[in-house]
Amino acid sequence: MTSHPPAAAAQSGSSGKFTILYFASAGSYTGKQMETLPAPLPLSKLFATLEARYEGIGAAVLDHSLVTVNLTYVEMPSGNDESEDAAAAVIIQDGDEVAIIPPVSSG
Amino acid sequence: MQDKKPDINGLASSARNGVAMDNRIRSSRSFTDEEFERYSRQMIVPGMGKEGQLRLINSRLLIVGAGGLGCPAAQYIAGAGVGTIGIVDGDVVELSNLHRQVGHATSRIGMKKVDSLITHLRGLNPLPTYVPHDSHIDPQNAADIISQYDVVVDCTDNPATRYLISDVCVLLCKPLVSAASVQKSGQLIVLNCPPTPQGLLDRKYAPCYRCCFKKPPPAGAMLSCGEAGIMGPVVGMMGVAQAGEAIKIIASALHLPPSDPDSAPERNLQQPTLLLCSYDLESAVGPYTFRALKMASRKKTCFACGENSTLTLDGIKAGNPNYEQFCGLAATHSNLPPEERITAAAYHAARSRGELPEHVLLDTREKEHFSFGKIDGAVNVPFGKLLMTAAAVKRGGASTDQILGSAELQPLPEDAPIFVVCRRGLDSQEAVEKLKELGMGNGGKRKIMDIVGGMKAWKEEVDHSFPFI
Repeated sequence: MTSHPPAAAAQSGSSGKFTILYFASAGSYTGKQMETLPAPLPLSKLFATLEARYEGIGAAVLDHSLVTVNLTYVEMPSGNDESEDAAAAVIIQDGDEVAIIPPVSSG
Repeated sequence: MQDKKPDINGLASSARNGVAMDNRIRSSRSFTDEEFERYSRQMIVPGMGKEGQLRLINSRLLIVGAGGLGCPAAQYIAGAGVGTIGIVDGDVVELSNLHRQVGHATSRIGMKKVDSLITHLRGLNPLPTYVPHDSHIDPQNAADIISQYDVVVDCTDNPATRYLISDVCVLLCKPLVSAASVQKSGQLIVLNCPPTPQGLLDRKYAPCYRCCFKKPPPAGAMLSCGEAGIMGPVVGMMGVAQAGEAIKIIASALHLPPSDPDSAPERNLQQPTLLLCSYDLESAVGPYTFRALKMASRKKTCFACGENSTLTLDGIKAGNPNYEQFCGLAATHSNLPPEERITAAAYHAARSRGELPEHVLLDTREKEHFSFGKIDGAVNVPFGKLLMTAAAVKRGGASTDQILGSAELQPLPEDAPIFVVCRRGLDSQEAVEKLKELGMGNGGKRKIMDIVGGMKAWKEEVDHSFPFI
């Protein structure tokens, strides 16, 4: 599924990479604000890919975070939501910008 | 008190007879000379006009939290002339608030925050009615307070309260402007706007907080401003943006039910956005970024606003759901056996009596905290870095020696104990578990111990002058 517009920010050409942004606690956990990862990657494999790189990030960060692809919220294909089928089909493409956004609570 | 699924038609007709009539009478009112002059610059902005200004004057808005978000939000909301402004906060003004909580003052340290902020707001604009609510919002009082207002602005500082406020706003059909900020990043989202009765799903409606963040992070992972720090301008921007959203909602009548003839139906189905702000302190030339993310609409399966929701106001009052438990606030117990824990006082005593063998003292606080003071000889390995190295060790990409950070420590005798200290005593327990898991206890030859209560306890029990931050 490629209905989302290409990310203006990620001009990685055709290098077969997507950009991933780590906000708030995702940034503290990974120790970085962004990096690039190999594309294409099915959205359904995103969390497993990150867990392999940053052990424990699933329970500590990803499970309660929301995820966007090219500035648009995507349903992660793991819950029981109605959009499960659509979510399972999303492929993160070359040049996409993915963001991991944990809730922030302070103020 | 409230039916599980309010009848939208009943809601609509009562709105039509009451609010709409009310609005027709109110919108024929003319401005006083002071109002006319005070609000002139904002009234001539396209989209505002006389109508928008009168809606502001006739509306009632609640700000929950008079801190880093609430202060800047309240200033602009008061300045814009919202007629009744309620403020909820149970805290008093402290010196460490003032770098960001711009509605308070050094001369008002110790005063209740609601009173301090209202003092400031009256100076800006004496025309609105200010209503102080000087205790924290909780499941018992939330519905009573929120029901008195048209729009709610969430400026609170903890997850349990955020879920509570969102739930009550869903049940009472109030739009909610929610923002949060910690360290160098902030978030803002307008929820439940236009307000839609619980359980309604016949078209796309705005999400609630639970639609966006279904479950809270583990209790230990959620940082507060007191622990993680916060940059004033970052939280300030988010608070100002909240005021902007609240003013927009009221001026364009989005807070009124869709059935109200005065509401703005063409705007009712706009896709909600989450505004994200973050800025890079480590690199002076790094840009700060704003991102507007397109969010999904109300979720069918949402616990609060979804199809089969069992959430009710009576339930909330009776403790169902249990917000504290949901957010894990009650869970501060330790899984470590007593022989793997030592108090700060006992560690200090053993050390000064020369009873401790050669050992490593690992301090897992962030390097910024560490830079203000440490126990003599402590090695700084920030918790996040420790976890990452531990993960690398498990993958075979690092050795256990690397966990202990600096190279000059090596080689360490295999029975040399490791003591772990953190800020308040939670991360250190997890660190001890991690080190044991990696086999660093060398089959029981080496003790790995948690210093109970962290550097906070060190300050209380051992060194009262320690610069704990």
